[in-house]
Amino acid sequence: MTGIDFSTGLGGTVAWPWPIAVYLFFAGISGGALTIALMMRFYKNQTDNTPLLKGATVAGFVGIALGMLCLVLDLTNPLFFWKILVFYNFQSVMSLGVVVLMAFIPLSALLAAYALREELNQLPKSLHFILPVVDALVRFRRPLEMLTLVLAIAVCAYTGFLISALIRFPLINTSVLPALFVASGLSAGAAVAKVLAVKFFKEDLHSAEMNVLHKVEWPVMAVEALFIFMLFSSLIFGGSAGSNALMAFSGGVWTNLFWFGVVGLGFALPLLFSFGLGKKFAHSSQAFYMTSASVVCGMMCLRMFLLYAGQIYSI
Amino acid sequence: MNNSTLNRRGFIKSVGVGGAALTVVGCSSNNDTADTDKPHYVMVFDQTKCVGCGRCKDACNKVNFLPEGMARLDLERQTDRVEGEVCPKCGKTECNCERKYVRVSCQQCQNAPCVMVCPTGAAHRDEETGIVTMNPDTCAGCKYCITACPYNVRQINPDTKVADNCDFCLHTNLAKGELPGCVQECKFGALKFGNANDKSSYVSKLLAAKNTERVKEHFGTDPSLYYIAITKEEI
Repeated sequence: MTGIDFSTGLGGTVAWPWPIAVYLFFAGISGGALTIALMMRFYKNQTDNTPLLKGATVAGFVGIALGMLCLVLDLTNPLFFWKILVFYNFQSVMSLGVVVLMAFIPLSALLAAYALREELNQLPKSLHFILPVVDALVRFRRPLEMLTLVLAIAVCAYTGFLISALIRFPLINTSVLPALFVASGLSAGAAVAKVLAVKFFKEDLHSAEMNVLHKVEWPVMAVEALFIFMLFSSLIFGGSAGSNALMAFSGGVWTNLFWFGVVGLGFALPLLFSFGLGKKFAHSSQAFYMTSASVVCGMMCLRMFLLYAGQIYSI
Repeated sequence: MNNSTLNRRGFIKSVGVGGAALTVVGCSSNNDTADTDKPHYVMVFDQTKCVGCGRCKDACNKVNFLPEGMARLDLERQTDRVEGEVCPKCGKTECNCERKYVRVSCQQCQNAPCVMVCPTGAAHRDEETGIVTMNPDTCAGCKYCITACPYNVRQINPDTKVADNCDFCLHTNLAKGELPGCVQECKFGALKFGNANDKSSYVSKLLAAKNTERVKEHFGTDPSLYYIAITKEEI
């Protein structure tokens, strides 16, 4: 060892435990689902409330709400959460994220209310005061949808920027992380939106919209794999710090989670279900649900792996 | 046709100007050069003098009213010896020469990652002294500063549930015009504290005369904690 250094610290090994990974997961699903559905809406010039839009807005709002719950519960005292809303430091990625989320959360709720306008009629009478508000805001639907699209992509990317700012962790301190989180958010968000659309909003498994999504998913997945490979290669060429962090992929505690969870569930199983077991199975509803479930689990594993392995292989 | 090219040009122009502006804004935020009118408090830890008695730690706990089980500083015991080989210092295979200690505490970075990432500005640089300290009233307990600290020397105070770091006794001893508790209590002169921007101060002279090191300088954090290391006698 050259130079003076110490290896003990005053804090624990992992300052950000699993609730943060779950938060990153929910935020990614929320942003990804809304991005996919809104892009579809603009691309196809849709004006009606499609099942996909309904599913995506539900995933969008419920996802971010659950994510916020994780985030608040992870504070050392959840009652302190108001301080983040009152005090700002615009050098901080987290503060910028708060600004984005402050607009994104109400907008995702409003978009869900737009999309589920008919379903809202069945609310209990005491909640009907929402309806005139939603109807009054319907004039701004298009611009608000566009704004939400931008914010949804920002939320996905933000979760990446949030942890890539941590300079002592070579595995996550890379510029490809936000891009990776956008890509994986899109694939998992699309999977959740599709499942909700089919299961609860009576979308046909082989509708034109679903077919577009099925076609879009593979390139997104390929890009995601490319980003993971880029992250990997940045460690190979990243000197001693990088090569130490490479152990995360080969024999460390979290290695199995990466190879079985991220690669197996996230990439191999969906490929197997769609291409390996014959056309008949690939078009079945079992294949549809199993593929979606494995993509979503793979994304959760990716967040978990990056957060934990990232914080363990520090320099 | 003409219209669309104009639009495209205008678009490229505005993207270029916007991008340049953003770059300037982004880069300038970190470039506050050292202001020599203001003090720059540094601490020098002399490893050749430290015996690891732990009085500094006790003093810190007492002065800063730290709760049981928490400490803002620690002494890590280290060794140069390789198990089973002769000691580089005394030539024996069994000896106690290997003991040396390293102070583990907030490095008081001039370019502090904790201050940068703190969403509420609770982890901040004290205006008058430039010392990195905490405002417990605005800390939300998000632990971003703890993960961002390259030295892992920040922690949550179990009593107040907010983040904490060594701030050279800024609000306790320094406020009374006294030296930090650890420096006061060190019987072996292993800790020196003072203003490095004041050329007549003891720490300035010490830093000018001695070979000092800082921990993990490659992070670009510009720490204010200097170490005088025990150098090996062989070779």
